[in-house]
Amino acid sequence: MLITWRYRKRKSLIQSFDPRAWIIFYSCFMVSSVLFWDLRFLVPLLVIALVVVFTSGIKWREMYRAWLFIGGFVVFFSLLTFLTGRGGMEFYTEEHLITSLSAPFTIFGWRPTLNITVERTLYALSQLVRVFSLASMTILIPYSLNPAHYGITFHGLGLPDKIAYAMELTMRFIPTLGRDFQLTLDAQRARGYEIEKLRGGLIEQVRKLAPLIVPVTIQAIIGSEDIIDAMDLRAFGIGPRTWLGQLHYRRRDYVLIALAALLFIVSMFLSLFGGYGQLWVPDWALVWGGG
Amino acid sequence: MNRRLLSVIVALVAVLVLFLLVVWVGGAINENLKLDETALLRFVFVGLGLLIVFVIYLLTRGSGAWDVGTREVVYMAIGAALYAVFSYLFNGTVFAVPSASQVALRPAIAIPMFFGYAFGPTVGFFSGAVGNMFGDALTGFGLSPQWSVGNGLVGMIAGMALLFSDKRKGMNVVLIISAVLAAIATIFWLLNPSLANMMFFAPEEGIFGDATITWFAALSAVIGFVLVLIVRFVFGQNVDVAAAVTWSMLGNLLGIGFAAISDIWINGFSPAVAIVGEFLPAAGPNLIFAAILVPILVAAYAAVQRRAGR
Repeated sequence: MLITWRYRKRKSLIQSFDPRAWIIFYSCFMVSSVLFWDLRFLVPLLVIALVVVFTSGIKWREMYRAWLFIGGFVVFFSLLTFLTGRGGMEFYTEEHLITSLSAPFTIFGWRPTLNITVERTLYALSQLVRVFSLASMTILIPYSLNPAHYGITFHGLGLPDKIAYAMELTMRFIPTLGRDFQLTLDAQRARGYEIEKLRGGLIEQVRKLAPLIVPVTIQAIIGSEDIIDAMDLRAFGIGPRTWLGQLHYRRRDYVLIALAALLFIVSMFLSLFGGYGQLWVPDWALVWGGG
Repeated sequence: MNRRLLSVIVALVAVLVLFLLVVWVGGAINENLKLDETALLRFVFVGLGLLIVFVIYLLTRGSGAWDVGTREVVYMAIGAALYAVFSYLFNGTVFAVPSASQVALRPAIAIPMFFGYAFGPTVGFFSGAVGNMFGDALTGFGLSPQWSVGNGLVGMIAGMALLFSDKRKGMNVVLIISAVLAAIATIFWLLNPSLANMMFFAPEEGIFGDATITWFAALSAVIGFVLVLIVRFVFGQNVDVAAAVTWSMLGNLLGIGFAAISDIWINGFSPAVAIVGEFLPAAGPNLIFAAILVPILVAAYAAVQRRAGR
């Protein structure tokens, strides 16, 4: 089941800021994490993310599903990287072997072998840290952004009224459509439809997805008629839009934006001129690899 | 010309020129400024993609297809939300097929195609780009913004069918362009048949995106093209179905092509790896979804329209 947005007013660091300021900070944080593969830079970013998470005031009970899903996903991907060494190839040219594990059995003459190297280990670790800090910042947003402020937030960030409102509706529709999908899946299951056992060739399997995708899509389009009517009745799009809520920047918001800009500029500078973006392989780590 | 529009374009061009200057001039001064294989390039390609969208919009804005009214605003949101929900559900839970650059076998791609075709290029672009962005956010990944723009292009180009008052017009040209694109990609595979399929993961069999691409995956673009051709001529009477599949096909080839080709610079792939390892296994299966799911959606929507009299 999809994560439902469970916004509540909480006393927390993240909610003490203006949502616009927070989105700016989030974007800069994201760009900075994407720029680096170097653990020395990724770990401070992770610390920032963890501080925000632990001060968010969201109870474990409220968000454990999201954490389990994302945690599983992140660990799975890092493990994939670690086992294969794929993905990191463009960052290192030679590998220093720590140990090589061979399976005591063969499958049709193929012996599974795992080469543990310094570079692979560091790369997988960097990926884990990087994706985890991004993911944990992302999960917090639906919990801590007031749905009544979605539209004004996007508008305040410079998007035109219509696009800002479309973004607001998108964020509001996601949990609803997730629920509709679950209902449709249950209804089709009651009729004997089994998504777990799609048989036939590829084309047949794709065709069998239609009983799931088509009702949800068409139902959403038909259901939107009420929303369109309501918006038309309120003369949507005729003049510049006014928003019910108002947002005001306070001093702390300016500080946050300044910090975000600083983070952005410093990371950009370091990765461009310092050459710090690449994977970091310290000398002491190479010693394990016999290098 | 609209002043605001002009300023947006000037800004985009200026950013692009700045980056090109940094790459050419800066590269000579400082080794690190060569910018290849840096994460920064992702954002450059986002800008490039948006520039392409703006130029196409400018050239064709006389047509009413780009207009955004109340209806379009709501459809944009529904398209994006549906795309996000479907890509979330089909990415990790039902078909567990994660892959390189986080592109997977995704039936969800039918959503931006259908929304683009049914409601216009603006709705298509928003559904694809914003839907992909939110879909990535739901799974906790936001690392490849250039793929969002690629997905947006898929929906936008599918919606360009509406630029023609007679939908039969241009359909054959679209078919020919798509045939050429699919053929070029397949020729790349014929010349490099031993490259890995980076979209295919089967951990229980020890395959982590490093298995040699199978002939089926490699030929999926051709198979998809043939399927679209069959749909186009078998349902030739129904102009909507025929136009929807052909334009969706072109959108898919160009949009996914944009994202895959940008990975040549972003991830430092060779052109052959980007096309054989990424483009074919991503765009090929998408074509199969386009050929099967898009006509079903178009037909279902036509039934709704008849009933509601819109």
